[in-house]
Amino acid sequence: MEKARISSIQLFLLIIGFLYGSTVIINPALSAKNDAWLAILLGGVGGALLIGVYASIALLNPSKTLVEILMDRFGKLIGNAVSILYIWYFIHIASLVFRNFGEFITTMTFPETPMAVVIGIFAVLLVYGINSGIEVMGRTSELFVPFIPVTALIISLSLITTRDFTAFLPMLENGMALVLNAAFSFITFPFGETIAFLMLFPHLNKKENLKKVAALSVLFIVVLCLFIFIRNISVLGSDLMYRAIFTPHLTSLLIPGLNVEPLIDINLLIGGGTKISVCIYAAAKALSQVLGISDYRKLTTAITTFCVVLSIWVYENVLEMFSWAEKVWPYYSIPFQMVIPLILLFLSLKKRAEPSKSRE
Amino acid sequence: MGDEGVFEKIKNSNRAAKQNINSDGACIDENEPIPQAIEAVKARLGEIFSGCSDFMYREIVCGENNCIKMSVAYINGFVDKRVLNQDVVRPVLDYFSNAILQDKRNRIYEQLKECVVNNSDIKEAENMRQVVDNIVSGEALLFIDGEDRALVIGVKAPQGRQVSEPDTEVSIRGAREGFVENLLTNTTLIRKRIKNPNLKLEIMQLGEQTKTDICICYIKGIANEEIVKEVRDRLKKIKTDAILDSGYIEQFISDSRLSLFPTVGNSEKCDKLAGKLLEGRVAIFCDGTPYVLTVPYLYIESIQASDDYYDHAFFATFMRLLRLLALLVSNLLPGMYVALVGFHHTVIPFKLMITLAASRQGIPFSPFTEAVLMILAFELLREAGVRMPRPIGQSLSIVGALVLGEASVAAGISSNLMVIIVAITAVCSFVVPPLIRATMLIRFVFLAAANFLGFFGISSVFVAVFIHLCRLRSFGIPYMAPFSPLTASDLKDSLVVVPIWAMVTRPRILRQENVKGAAGVKRQEVRLKR
Repeated sequence: MEKARISSIQLFLLIIGFLYGSTVIINPALSAKNDAWLAILLGGVGGALLIGVYASIALLNPSKTLVEILMDRFGKLIGNAVSILYIWYFIHIASLVFRNFGEFITTMTFPETPMAVVIGIFAVLLVYGINSGIEVMGRTSELFVPFIPVTALIISLSLITTRDFTAFLPMLENGMALVLNAAFSFITFPFGETIAFLMLFPHLNKKENLKKVAALSVLFIVVLCLFIFIRNISVLGSDLMYRAIFTPHLTSLLIPGLNVEPLIDINLLIGGGTKISVCIYAAAKALSQVLGISDYRKLTTAITTFCVVLSIWVYENVLEMFSWAEKVWPYYSIPFQMVIPLILLFLSLKKRAEPSKSRE
Repeated sequence: MGDEGVFEKIKNSNRAAKQNINSDGACIDENEPIPQAIEAVKARLGEIFSGCSDFMYREIVCGENNCIKMSVAYINGFVDKRVLNQDVVRPVLDYFSNAILQDKRNRIYEQLKECVVNNSDIKEAENMRQVVDNIVSGEALLFIDGEDRALVIGVKAPQGRQVSEPDTEVSIRGAREGFVENLLTNTTLIRKRIKNPNLKLEIMQLGEQTKTDICICYIKGIANEEIVKEVRDRLKKIKTDAILDSGYIEQFISDSRLSLFPTVGNSEKCDKLAGKLLEGRVAIFCDGTPYVLTVPYLYIESIQASDDYYDHAFFATFMRLLRLLALLVSNLLPGMYVALVGFHHTVIPFKLMITLAASRQGIPFSPFTEAVLMILAFELLREAGVRMPRPIGQSLSIVGALVLGEASVAAGISSNLMVIIVAITAVCSFVVPPLIRATMLIRFVFLAAANFLGFFGISSVFVAVFIHLCRLRSFGIPYMAPFSPLTASDLKDSLVVVPIWAMVTRPRILRQENVKGAAGVKRQEVRLKR
């Protein structure tokens, strides 16, 4: 196995970049309209629990990746089958993010450029990053991810004159059910997708920090999303916010006398880049472990190419993308994000309890 | 690795060159003994140095019945003849003028070594190889009839220019002394600043033909032993004909040979080098060049200047930030302009937009072509300014720039704004000298990316460059340290400079326990073995 190590702060930034990734474009919590803040908070709590489960699994099976854990707990046959499902899932996430990214760029910045070109160039860049290894990915994230909150802050400060802070009211206008639904979506996207990090956790140099890092990054993302939500709703109002296709972009267009459109692009490039690299890394690593290939680098190019093709093929248009992300994705994700991890946690706990019993 | 073929070819040609020399007949076996008879020595040296008009051979005959025969061999002009006469020839003649040849021939040799020759720098040569090596490196050799050893007497004449202020690195405060071409002068300059026996100077010779003296310099206890060992190993693996400048060594030992970014630093200033040594870096002196190499070299060092530490910390911090800004501007500005004009009109404020449109009116070229032409013109002027004889060069670059800038705008070939942009870019690129070459090329990449994809292209290239920088290592130390990996205690001397009394710890990144050189070092070994 690769002996690369990433530090706690690198993992922290990787998780932040991952979580922020495409949330900057599609935030499922926004379907709760002006109660989205509640959905973000509830979703954050749920997300923290979910990441807690993943971290516990990693801690109960030290220095083992998701594939190795699955093999240990489920046996070779079922373990392999479930691993392949997970590989598919990671590839699927990556191609959805590719598509989000491509849609945004082709809709907003380069309307005449074919999406394949934009996604293709992005993919070449990411293959270079992923093939440099997990250490370099960590170090790059250390340099780039701090840009995300900075740009959010810049945009918010520029909009300080056009605020309407009563836009939240009235509270719970559309009932609690909508909020809960949005919160659930928000748990599965983005928090549940961090299951991919189970392929990365073994590289963390200080295992004892794992839970702290996970909790802090979730907290950070919840605060950041709240911050952005408050900005968006106080600038746009709940109705316009709900109907806008790319909300942060629309918000940034309202800055008087200045156009910071490229800043959003950069945000997306960094966040989406982190998310896709982590997913493709996880998929390549998992596939290499299932097939018994020593070096995952041999697979990254192939997997990335597959993702690019899949991303173009997967939706007909941008509206389908949004409706799929909100309506189908949460339920599609349940087995990967909740059922299998909970079974794994249960089995791992049982496994740990057994030897201690036999000693007594 | 793609460069395999190239290295293989170079190596083969080196091998061919070596064989040529061996066939010359003047080849000296590794362990060829020194002939006992003085005539044989003469004949052998005459054979080896045939055709060398600067080779001098002086025979001394003294003692009763001319029984003691000696000879001195040296290269004319390389040794100080007056010192040679005073220290060697005179005392020998005086001492042995009346001596009787005894059976114990040994005694002559011992006496010569211990009480006759008035020189403090005496070594012994055991075989012909050493004899020849010492002669060509400027020592005088004393042979005694009937001995299979020879005395090596250090009477090298001081060579080269005086210590003077370096041209390439100028500082407002700090020492005006710069290194010179002579290795010993350079090491003395460092020893003068760091008066400590822990300052180690390890000497070795490199280059099959040139036999250039190389000196590894570090402070024991401060420098990381593993890095020192790595430097030693990499230097030992160099197999080449000639080392004419430290630039040769730099190319051989740097971690990533094809990267545009320097992973080995060089300096001409003594105080700067002393500072680097005290931080725990390793210096490599090379005889014949004033540029001393320092490793490991990190990215942050290119925006550090020795003035930063001599001056007020706030001012130094401001200068650091200014240099970083200059670095960004010199890389990105032309690309940004092209992206703004070509793709992102909406980002430009309206009034500026009008000015811009007015200045671009009637220009036949696209912004990209315009930018490339102007930057090429500037690079040409710069190169001409360097290559021209100095008195002409200065006026050429100024007049050329003025005429070209003015005239091209008047003729409607380029816009005013473009001239301003290229000028700012040029000024900024000179602020960070170590990265001038990297910037020069990357600027074009940014330009091309901006022309095809606007800001998206620029940010893609930007990310790619940073991934590359994060991949780089210099002697096992991550290139982008202390930012990534984040080393909190080293941030005191990065973008922010704290006052010198607050710099209480040495750079930690250089001392980390497990330098493990990971990828970088291991790859290097494989490459050098070929």
